[in-house]
Amino acid sequence: MNGKTSLVSAGAAIVQRNKRYIVWFYLLNLAFAHFGATAFSDAAHGILDHSLYADKLLHGFSLGVFTEMLARPEFGTLPGATHPAMMFSVVFFLASLLFMPGVLLGYASDHPLPRDEFYRACGRNVWRFVRLFLFFSVIAGIVAGILFGGLNALVSAADKTSNERLPFFTQLIGDVIVLVVLTVIRMWFDVAQTDAVLRDQPAVRKSIVAGLRKTRRNFGRLLGSYLVIAIVAAAVLMAGILLWYAIVPPSSILGAFIIGQATLLLLLATRFWQRATAVAFYVREMTEPVAEEKRAIPGFAAPLVS
Amino acid sequence: MVVGLRVGVCLLAALSVTAFAQTDGAAGLAIPATTLAINSATPLSQRVVAYDMDAKYNAKTHSLDATETLTYHNLTGQALDTFPFHLYLNGFQPTSTWIREGKRWNSYGPDLATWDAKSYGAQEIKSLEVVGQGDFTSQLQFINPDDENKDDRTVVQVHLSKPIPPDGYVQFKIKFHDQFPETLARTGWNRDFILGGQWFPKVGVWWHGAWNCHQFHYDTEFFADFGVYDVKLTVPQYEVVGASGIEVGSVNNADGTKTVTYHGDDIHDFAWTASPHYLIYNDTFQGSMGPVKLRILMQPAHWGQAERHARIAKETMEHFDRWYGPYPYKTLTIVDPEPGSEAGGMEYPTFITGDTTWYMPKGVLLVEDVVEHEFGHQYWYGMVATNEFEDAWMDEGINQYTQIKIMNSIFGASTSIINMWGVTAGQVDEARPGLEAVADLDPIAKNGWEYADPNSYGGITYFKTALSLLTLEGVIGEDTMRRAMHTYLMRYRFTHPTKEDFLKTIEEVSGQDLRWYFNQAIYGTQVLDYEAMKITSVPVDWYKENLKEKKGETEYVSNVWVHRKGEFVIPIDVEVKFDNGDRVREHWDGKDRWVRYAYQKKAKVESVEVDPDHKIYLDRNNFNNSRTAEANGDPARKLANYWTCISQFFAQFLAWWLV
Repeated sequence: MNGKTSLVSAGAAIVQRNKRYIVWFYLLNLAFAHFGATAFSDAAHGILDHSLYADKLLHGFSLGVFTEMLARPEFGTLPGATHPAMMFSVVFFLASLLFMPGVLLGYASDHPLPRDEFYRACGRNVWRFVRLFLFFSVIAGIVAGILFGGLNALVSAADKTSNERLPFFTQLIGDVIVLVVLTVIRMWFDVAQTDAVLRDQPAVRKSIVAGLRKTRRNFGRLLGSYLVIAIVAAAVLMAGILLWYAIVPPSSILGAFIIGQATLLLLLATRFWQRATAVAFYVREMTEPVAEEKRAIPGFAAPLVS
Repeated sequence: MVVGLRVGVCLLAALSVTAFAQTDGAAGLAIPATTLAINSATPLSQRVVAYDMDAKYNAKTHSLDATETLTYHNLTGQALDTFPFHLYLNGFQPTSTWIREGKRWNSYGPDLATWDAKSYGAQEIKSLEVVGQGDFTSQLQFINPDDENKDDRTVVQVHLSKPIPPDGYVQFKIKFHDQFPETLARTGWNRDFILGGQWFPKVGVWWHGAWNCHQFHYDTEFFADFGVYDVKLTVPQYEVVGASGIEVGSVNNADGTKTVTYHGDDIHDFAWTASPHYLIYNDTFQGSMGPVKLRILMQPAHWGQAERHARIAKETMEHFDRWYGPYPYKTLTIVDPEPGSEAGGMEYPTFITGDTTWYMPKGVLLVEDVVEHEFGHQYWYGMVATNEFEDAWMDEGINQYTQIKIMNSIFGASTSIINMWGVTAGQVDEARPGLEAVADLDPIAKNGWEYADPNSYGGITYFKTALSLLTLEGVIGEDTMRRAMHTYLMRYRFTHPTKEDFLKTIEEVSGQDLRWYFNQAIYGTQVLDYEAMKITSVPVDWYKENLKEKKGETEYVSNVWVHRKGEFVIPIDVEVKFDNGDRVREHWDGKDRWVRYAYQKKAKVESVEVDPDHKIYLDRNNFNNSRTAEANGDPARKLANYWTCISQFFAQFLAWWLV
């Protein structure tokens, strides 16, 4: 890694070198989502497969027909059809928690990480990541609670004025501010997670402190990188939706699948890009002398930078 | 303002010329025969009441003090010594029937859980004098004809010392005070906006030999006699005012207020609104009885949608004029109420409220939906003044039916509510799910306050009625149905028809005995559900060894079964389609529970469809109306694909923030 390149570029280079992680995570999510959609899919097939009325859902999307389908007793309850998908989303989150240490280690490595090292990193850090997640949840939860509480009060006040747009824009701007604040916290914990993996730090509180210190020292640079990538993610999402609308015929299941999955894959890539940026940042930080005693990082025979 | 005053003086002079057409010789009382507010040289209704009111609105306290002179013409054919009055604003009190019913459905409508005293409404008669008989204030008595709630104060009654003879007149002079609620049931204030609905003591209707003056119920609306309204409204000068009828004068007062005067002919209610923020958009509709001035009071943030309001209003008026009959009034005021005020979507004579937000995409036809619906009430409520307490379906349901017809005519059947980003919804799409959950709960013909719950009230009165009339159209034909609606309007406008008046008009115009249909659809709770149950196609030579089926050559015995799942019996068409493209139409009277059709052809049955022309809108389940021999998994796959993408997105979003 060249210390003169921007963090965003350095992160992009890491992602480019390690595309396989994104692909595996993507396939994992797709598989989980497929399983999660089975209940919904079965119920829909049961009602639609032999009905000519279903044509209104194939050649177009009639909201009324869709609503009628959901209301049919044979469709079952809506929670019954949708809860499996929610549960598999949680499973994907847990899988991400489990495998992310291996990804971070791979990102920090200048060569393809052997499979056993990947899994070893995952296994060694699983409990640390659970604890980091809990710390993150508490801190982010408190901050988000306070911010959203304040925002709700502001929106309520705005709602009392006769300016109809004021509540909407208050909510919108407030949401953006809360998201930026949460991004800062996420960034801090991304660095802390990187610290826990690369320094093999068993005491996660030390990683949290180290993450906070490093994030604070390079706040503008890190936040700028994260926000740039977040904007790219938003643009990807918008482009995907527009493409879906513009070029996919209503009856083209394959077209919708390709555009939808491409959008989701790119969205996933942007998050990995943020993680890679945090790793690049951390590795650069480590090459500079720090007061703390450096510990050997398992699995690294070569320098951490390339 | 000077010009306005001159116009007002001229108009009042014109009023005096035509007044006293219907006079009581003894007392000199009369119902004015004015025609100032209608495009007609003669009165259109048999006028029973004349309200002359002078109201002063206090914008700071959202209250009003007024005097009301009510002249009543006894056309009942018998002497009357008792008169009931509605005091609707007392419905917004904690112990009222309106609130009790609202609390019963605590998950529905306005948030009554957080309702506090500053939001209450109240109406108090300060004095009531009967001209020639004296002061009856102390003899006023609250009554509760519909329930056991002695605390309900929405109907008050007075017994006169001397009965009013048939064809006689009586005049009441009433002083009253209103405290408007924070908008509830499309009445009241919100910030500096006010919608004055049901704001004055209103006499009941003598109907079928008795007074019809129901308490204010949570679901039901109103009922009143036709007459003449002259109303003076005094409000702060900064207010922009709109009201029923036509404006005949406006005078600025020395105390910073102004008095705006309105006159209405052949109407049965009077509503008004004021807000300092309204911007006025004027337009004109050329109706078959003359020009109608459209006055649209828009919120500044919605000004860009003013033309949208005007366009749908004119298109709707044109359809009504052409299909059902003319709109006789000279004005229509459309109010775009204060955002978040719960005052949107309401009808009063010549005065309606729309409903929109600052951002309303053109593909979402909410503006059009509401304006069309509320204008429709100018016919089905405004002119054909049915009893909204007892026959809610006759205003809401018939109006929903004409709304579907007109919106579909303008915007297309499948895109008459939403047409955006490939997502579509039509008017019928809104109605069908609304009925689905409550299809067998209540009959259409039922007192509005006696439905199982508000969902049933809405689903049955609005949607079942509309779908029943659409289905009936399939039975008697679209043109016949339109002629029946036209006849019904022209025969019963400016009267209070009953449900049988309406149903018999349809039978008369169609020349058919439709009791079998009305007994099920209007008076019954039978559910209509036909099912294309099963298809089989078996080769005639099935027993031969090594039989090779060949399309177009192999002969099959095919059977299709159609099943009447519901109790509602209606004759249906069945279309059977074969894989060589042949189609066969069958007609089944539906009286048995099922029917089987058998065919022997060199083709297999590809599909069977009940109601292939899609005329039976009441059918509860459209999915089982057809059955294909071969499954087509594409629609379900498409939805499953959408759902998979949404699930993946959700999972990634979760992992984005938490890992």
